[in-house]
This record gives sequence, structure tokens and C-alpha cells, in this order.
Amino acid sequence: MILYTPLSEADIYPNSPEDFSNRHCVSYGGKSLYVEQTADGSYQLLQLLSTDPQDFMDENYTPGTILR
Amino acid sequence: MNNKTEKKEDQNQDQQQNSSALVQKIQQLGQSNIPQAPDSNIHVLSIIGQVEGHIQLPPQNKTTKYEHLLPQLIAIEQNPKIEGLIILLNTVGGDVEAGLALSEMISSISKPTVSIVLGGGHSIGVPIAVATNYSYIVPTATMTIHPVRLTGLVIGVPQTFEYLDKMQDRVINFVVNHSNIKEEKFKDLMFAKGNLTRDIGTNVIGTDAVEYGLIDGVGGVKEAMQKINELINDNKTVENQVIQ
Repeated sequence: MILYTPLSEADIYPNSPEDFSNRHCVSYGGKSLYVEQTADGSYQLLQLLSTDPQDFMDENYTPGTILR
Repeated sequence: MNNKTEKKEDQNQDQQQNSSALVQKIQQLGQSNIPQAPDSNIHVLSIIGQVEGHIQLPPQNKTTKYEHLLPQLIAIEQNPKIEGLIILLNTVGGDVEAGLALSEMISSISKPTVSIVLGGGHSIGVPIAVATNYSYIVPTATMTIHPVRLTGLVIGVPQTFEYLDKMQDRVINFVVNHSNIKEEKFKDLMFAKGNLTRDIGTNVIGTDAVEYGLIDGVGGVKEAMQKINELINDNKTVENQVIQ
């Protein structure tokens, strides 16, 4: 794989990579979401993956929302 | 005093319960129809952070995953209600093959596409920006054009250089074929010395990108919306003519 970016490799790959196994891409309410599992087992919305601008007006899908 | 505040709280709670009961009733009986915004005929694809390809990047990188975007592009192409696509770019580059894949997908969509470069559209962001029918850059945005680099284990043989050169040619050819910049000019910018600290290349700022022919126009949301509506109308008249 070749990365074409002005960033240095050290910026992209840190020396101590944190564990990111708690981040998932899920489907919720018919929309694709990128979520992070919090310590108490619930999921927090990181990113809404949609091309419909109206989806971003829906306050149920604002970043940081805790999903049940 | 305490009693008074308690009473007030009770009242507040009562009111809240009342209003929530009302909302419930409305929801259950379906009496109230909250006016909703009509479905947008223009969809927006934002390409932010690193363009992530074959290898998942560590979590401190903000990434746009091409496996998410490729199906979305197909969905946009298939959905008859979607008439146009706007690409928002603020990217630092990323995987060459993922970026080229996205660029080819965007350029081969039959619906009108317009891109806006905001902040930065560096490295592999350049072919993605020029892949659309019309591209805009905001005056403050920059695009870094520099040679493709190899990181990690490099075998010191001439073939390594040839491979890298071919990789670079793919990027150059795509940009030259999809924008008004001349190959010579693009290569000049790519291999320019003294512009970037500790690197070869050029940091092209908004108006300069338009001057070089890399990007079609300087503008933001307003210009992009005007352009896409214009392209959608053109698209419709062409379709009508075909039917007649």
C-alpha cells in the first residue's frame, strides 16, 4: 500500500497504537453509523455515514448521541 | 419557602407530564402531521481526513473509508430521486489506490457532480477534486501537490523507482485528463523545489489552483449549488430531447 499524503508516517502510525477494537460500523434505524462502544456497554455515535443532507438535520443522529 | 419551591416543582412536573401525554396522544392517534422537509434531490458526500484504503489506520486518524463511499456512489447513481451530487473535500490525502478508485467512481457517475475543496485537498485529494463535472475551491483552501513517496521496506533496485514512477503517472494522468491543467505544468508543480519545507512539491492556494487550470472556479456553497442546479437542468433538457 502506498500512502499519498504530506503527513509523515509517524503521524499516521504512532509508536503505541491504541486499541480500536471498540469501534464499529453498524446499521441503526436504516442508517449506517460509525460508533464507539463505551465502558458501560452502550454505543456512542461517532459519525453518521450518509449522503442525504436531511439525515444530518435529524437530532437523533447528532455525533455523541448514546444509542441504546 | 421549601413548601413553595416543592409546589413549584410539582407544577412543573405536572406540566411536563401533561405536555408529554399530549405528545404521546398525538403520536398514537397520528393526528398531528409535522411538516417535514422534502427529500433533497442533491446528495452530499464528504471526504474528510485520510482516505483509508487497504489497511485500517490507527484511531487517532480521522478517516474516510472507501468501502463506505463506493456503495453510496452506486446508490446515488441508482436512485432516480437523486439528481446531483456535491463532494465536500477536506482531506490530507491517503491511500493511492483507494483515492484513485473514488476518483474513477465519481468521474463515471452519469449524474451531475460538483466538488468544493475546503481547507485542504492535498495529495490524493487532487484527483478526487478534479473528478467531478465542475470543481470549486474556496479562496483559503490549499492543495499540496508533491511526488508519491514510498515508506516502509524499500528494496534498493531500479525497479522500485519504476514502480513508483508508474504509480505517480496514474495520478498525473487522471488529473491531466479531468482538469484543464497541462501535464508539464502539473509536473512542474509536483517537482518544484523550495516551496515546501523538507519536501519537494508545491502548496497551491485557492485562486492559484484556478489560474493553473487545476480547479474550475473559486467559490463556496452558493456557487456550487448554482452550478449543480444548472447542470441538473441541462441534464434534464438533454433527457427530454432524447425522449422526443
